[in-house]
Amino acid sequence: MTSTAEAIEDGVLGARLWFYSNYHCNLTCTYCLTESAPGVPRRELSAPAIVAAAEEAAEMGFTAFGITGGEPFLREDLTRIVARLASIAPTLILSNATVFNARRLRELAALEGLPVQVQISLDRPDPDVNDEMRGPGNFAKVIDAIPKLLERGIGVRIATTVDDPETADPVEMERLCELHRSLGVPDCDHVVRPIIRRGRASGGDLGRGVAFEDFEPELTITADGAFSTPFGPTVTGGRLDTDLLVTRTTSPLRRPAAALMQIAGEQSAGQDARIGIR
Amino acid sequence: MSAAGTSASSAVSLVPPDQAPLLARPYYAGGAPSPIVGALAHVPELLGVTMAFVGAALGESFVSARLKEIAILRASAVLGCHYCVQTHTVVALDEGLDRAEVRALCGEEPAQDAFGEDRERALVGWVQELAGQRGPLDDDVQRRMTGCFSEPEIVELTVVATATIMLNRFCTALGLPVSDATHARLRAEGLA
Repeated sequence: MTSTAEAIEDGVLGARLWFYSNYHCNLTCTYCLTESAPGVPRRELSAPAIVAAAEEAAEMGFTAFGITGGEPFLREDLTRIVARLASIAPTLILSNATVFNARRLRELAALEGLPVQVQISLDRPDPDVNDEMRGPGNFAKVIDAIPKLLERGIGVRIATTVDDPETADPVEMERLCELHRSLGVPDCDHVVRPIIRRGRASGGDLGRGVAFEDFEPELTITADGAFSTPFGPTVTGGRLDTDLLVTRTTSPLRRPAAALMQIAGEQSAGQDARIGIR
Repeated sequence: MSAAGTSASSAVSLVPPDQAPLLARPYYAGGAPSPIVGALAHVPELLGVTMAFVGAALGESFVSARLKEIAILRASAVLGCHYCVQTHTVVALDEGLDRAEVRALCGEEPAQDAFGEDRERALVGWVQELAGQRGPLDDDVQRRMTGCFSEPEIVELTVVATATIMLNRFCTALGLPVSDATHARLRAEGLA
C-alpha cells in the first residue's frame, strides 16, 4: 500500500483528486468562489496533464476524481477527458447545467456505462429567487437538463448553496427537496452547503469565513498549482488566493500529495472541525 | 518599504501574511517575514529547503560569525547586490566588525587594508577572486587561503560565499526591497 493510500484509509487525505479544468463560465453568480464569468482568464489545465495526473493518482491510491471550474462543460474536450477519467475511477463533475445543448447532450453518449455523476447547482425552488443569484433563465435550464442527463445514464446530484444551512427556511428547503425528487434525484444525492466567504462573496456579509481546518484535505490540481481543497484556488479581485496553496508543482503528483499529507498530518485532532462541504 | 509590499523595480510582489501558502505559514508566524521569504513564498515547496540551506550555510557553525560576515559582505559588494549589502552591513556591525571594516568590505576603501590579521586578509582576497573572476581562482590567492585555513574551514567558507552569490543574484534579479527595519538601523548608524 502506498503512503497516499494509507493516508486516505486513515482519513488524513480525501480519496478524491480534484481538477480545476478551467476558470471561465457562462454565468456570473454573485457568490462565485472563483469570480468566474465569460470574459475571465481561462486558466485551463491541458487534457494530457489531467489524464496523466489521474493515471498517477490511481497508482498512488486515489479512488475518485472531481472536475470543477468555472463551467467545465464549456470545454470542447471535456467529455473526452471525463470518459478517460471515469474509465479509471468514478468521476464527479460540478456544473451549472445550463450549457447542455443538443450537441453536448449527444456527446454525452460517450459516457454511457461509466461511473459519472454531474453535480448541479440549484439553490431555490422558485425561479425568480434562484435566478437572483445565478442569473436570468438559470432555473428553467437546470430543470430542463436534469431529466435529460438522467435519461442518458448520467448520475445527477443537486448542490444547494445557501447563506447558512442551519438557518435556511425549512419550508422552502422542503419544497426544493420535493422538486429534486420529482426530477428523479433522491435525497442522498442532494447536498446543502454554505456560501464560502471567498472570491466574489468575500466583500459582503454572505456566508462564512473558513480556514484550512474547516475542510477535509482533498488534493486539488489547477493550472496555478496544487491546493488543499477545491475551495482553495479562489480568485478575489482578479487575483488568485494562495492561502490554501500547497505547491506550485503538480507533476509528478506525488510531490504535492506528499506536501499535503505532511501539512494535514500536522493538524491536531482538536482542530478537526470540518464543515463537511462538497 | 514594508516586507509585504513591493518597490517600483521589484520583479515580483511579496506574498502578504493573509495569502501565505500553507507550507509558508511558519515563516509568517511573527508577521511579515523578510523580503527573501516573502518572494520565495510564491513557490512554497522551495521555501523550506532554501531557507534550511541558507540557514545552515550562513548561520551559526564552527566557523566564526565574524569570518562569515566578512565573506558575505565582500561577496555581496563584489556582486553589487544592494539588498544583501544593506542587510549584511547591519549584521556585520552586530557581529562586531567596525565601521572601517564594513566600509572597506563594501568597497569604499581597499578591502584588505582594513584588516590586520593574515587570515582575514587572505579571506577577503579569496572571496574577491571567487565572486569577481571567471574560471579557476588565482594560484597565489588560493595558496594564501590554504595557508591560513583548514580544509573544513575552506569548504564551509566556500559554501558561505557561493550561497551568498546565489542570494545576491536572487535578490538583485527580483529587485527585492530592503526592509524598513534595515533602513532604520542604517540611518541610526549614519550609514544610510
